[in-house]
Amino acid sequence: MRQRNVLMSALIAGSALALIAGCGSNSSPSGTSATNSGPVHGGNLIFNNPQDAQSMDESNIFDNNSIWILEQIMQPLYTVTPNGKGVMPWLATGYTASSDHLTYTFTLRPGVKFSNGQPMTSADVKFSLEQTMAAKAGWGYIDAAIKSVDDPTPSTVVVHLKYPWAPLLADLSFFANGIVPNNFGGKTAAQFYQAPIGTGPFKWDYWHKGSALKLVRNPLFWKKGLPYLNSVTWTDVPSDNTRQLQIKSGQAQIDQFPSWSTVSSLKATPGVVMSLFNSTETNYLAFNEKVKPFQDVHVRKAISLAINRQAIIKAVLFGNGKPANSLFPPQVPFYDASTPGYQFNLSQAKQQMAQSSVPHGFSTTILIGAGNSDYATISTILQSELKPLGINVHIQTLDPNTANTNFQAQKYDMSLTLWTMDIPDPDELATFGLDPASGAKSFFTGYDNPTVVKDIHSAERISTPSQRQSLYNVVQTDAAQDAFMAFLYYSPYPYVETSNVHGFFVTPLGNYHMENVWLSK
Amino acid sequence: MGRMTFVIRRLLLLIPTALGVTIIAFFMIHLIPGDPAATILGIHATPRAVAILHHQWGLDRPLASQYWLFMDRLVHGNLGQSLYYRVPVSGLVTSRLPATIWLIAYAAVIAVVISVPLAMIAASRKDAVRDHVVRVIPLLGLGMPAFWLAIILQSELAVRLHLFPVTGYGQGPIGHLHSMFLPALTVAVALCPVVIRSLRASMLNVLGADFITTAKAKGVPGSRLFIRHVLRNAVIPAVTVLGINIGFLIGGTLIVEQVFSVPGIGSLMINSIFQRDFPVVQAVALVFGVMVVLVNLLTDMAYASLDPRVRFDR
Repeated sequence: MRQRNVLMSALIAGSALALIAGCGSNSSPSGTSATNSGPVHGGNLIFNNPQDAQSMDESNIFDNNSIWILEQIMQPLYTVTPNGKGVMPWLATGYTASSDHLTYTFTLRPGVKFSNGQPMTSADVKFSLEQTMAAKAGWGYIDAAIKSVDDPTPSTVVVHLKYPWAPLLADLSFFANGIVPNNFGGKTAAQFYQAPIGTGPFKWDYWHKGSALKLVRNPLFWKKGLPYLNSVTWTDVPSDNTRQLQIKSGQAQIDQFPSWSTVSSLKATPGVVMSLFNSTETNYLAFNEKVKPFQDVHVRKAISLAINRQAIIKAVLFGNGKPANSLFPPQVPFYDASTPGYQFNLSQAKQQMAQSSVPHGFSTTILIGAGNSDYATISTILQSELKPLGINVHIQTLDPNTANTNFQAQKYDMSLTLWTMDIPDPDELATFGLDPASGAKSFFTGYDNPTVVKDIHSAERISTPSQRQSLYNVVQTDAAQDAFMAFLYYSPYPYVETSNVHGFFVTPLGNYHMENVWLSK
Repeated sequence: MGRMTFVIRRLLLLIPTALGVTIIAFFMIHLIPGDPAATILGIHATPRAVAILHHQWGLDRPLASQYWLFMDRLVHGNLGQSLYYRVPVSGLVTSRLPATIWLIAYAAVIAVVISVPLAMIAASRKDAVRDHVVRVIPLLGLGMPAFWLAIILQSELAVRLHLFPVTGYGQGPIGHLHSMFLPALTVAVALCPVVIRSLRASMLNVLGADFITTAKAKGVPGSRLFIRHVLRNAVIPAVTVLGINIGFLIGGTLIVEQVFSVPGIGSLMINSIFQRDFPVVQAVALVFGVMVVLVNLLTDMAYASLDPRVRFDR
């Protein structure tokens, strides 16, 4: 019996200890000398992500939560400008191109070292680019125009192209072309990416899968005086509400993608800053042209015209978006604001329906992934908006993986999908979305307009910006008039920060530079 | 049959149980639609890239051959490689298991700490106001959705009063004790009503027994009577109830793990199902199966040590 009493006392003491333990372990940002006049060094920032990273293998990773973290470690030769429409020198300081635009010679930034102290040289660049070029199930296709890479001197890299390639600098600014040590520093690729080394502002500390990934300050970072923070920890917090509570309690400093319903209340919450950064996120309604009656352009036009985009923006984004008029978002180079993408006009929609092969309407489905409340709302709105055309829409909700698999296998009628840019050039999106011969079969719609295909590939090989602009204007117009997808809306990136976070900025491509971020007291 | 023979026999039962779990988990996860390549490649899942990944992962082999490979690795102590994280599954599972064990054990402890005194209060005067209060109020715990209670606890105790962190697992035993208190309390609140009711009913039964009348006649004081005579005898059925519910909790703590961002195997399991990370799903299902068998074994052993009349005959 004595033992039982001891046990009971221990339990009660344990619960009390849980409370007492809390008194000493509240973490708070620590600056070395906080002033109101400028940045201060120090502090450990907690960055809430709705989903854990997947991998740090830059050549083979497609997940944004991984990409935006690994960019703090590994850096490319060029980086995207803050407006998302161009590139600026990063690990390279400049280049010269041959007159036939088949050879580019890059000069590397002097004095750059990896976080292990080893100097970065052209051999590292050659190795890194060749790794990505060889990634057949990864990002190899981004570098498909590159024939070979040479490293004639330690500070010079020569890239030989198979054919003139206008997006080359944009491709070289791509995270997958980030520079890693030659031969992975003597490790295998799998070993290296468990704790990668780069030239970036932060270096590896730990990754507890499904919980937290921590990077610490790289004292050898080539930008003197940066980064400001001692460390950044990305935590995996799936619940929107929990992420918000963490910000309010000060347990975390940045929340990625709060739910849209909370944006207006967060704007009014003291101690937090609600930021809506310009993004390249564009949302579409895809039509599967392998399925009747979506081969009929009049049906596609009718549906595109029947969608009230403002109503969707109001219901889903709570007003924080813009109707889309083009396949391209406004933050992409060569976007044409005058592209005649269809907007809400019910009488014209009915006219198009009357000219179609199904003038009295038809029944169809819209495929969405379970748990996506935004898409569930849009589908319900579409269901109601297409009724006046005689189109009965059944919402087909499948678990997200099955929905993705079916979408990519073109086992659907209509589906909601989105795109964000990876590079500051429209080529990737144009090929992905408009070329049926590309692996994505025109955004998995099967759309095939030979004129459009010819134009997008011509635009890849012309270096004169004005000529590229003309071609992309025509491409955007043709794609809009064919209504191969209904362009729905452009959405910003929502982020919440505590008010002591400074210098946090997200480019339209979604990248951020944590070296510029600092915490005030 | 001696205690050791009983334990060995029950442990041997783990083998067919584990085999059954692997067969069910393997074929169920492979037969549902969906593709891990769709998760890894996202919108960039071209047929060529998908085919390359399927070949790398061995998913282009017949199902029976894949199962044989899985079992072959398993008997050599290799659970395979996570398709999503690209790391060994064994490391992933072992790194996530402690958080779930902490959560369940901590919740069980809190449930006991709450339930025992409340059941004693209720049983001390049957049908009095305090009995009705103790019987009714904990029932709210059963009716409250775990995610709702979790949010309330987070808002009040973490955000407003700053007594506990909103989320996390903490570092070291004291850190775990502190960080896991709210998730464990959330789980415990759902556990308490069942334990309280069971304990109260047992106590009332025991209170009507002859040996209690004798003890009262001998002048044993109330508190001593309750703790030494009533509680010890009444706790036996409650241990069974608690054991069954703990078995149910294994794998059932998902919502609490998600809301409190506890890096346990419940959330690993559900994420892996969504991502079709076959090797992880198979491994976690196996761990769940083994844990349930072990908890049942421990419950039986606790039952036997509390009640000397129980024998290990069958």
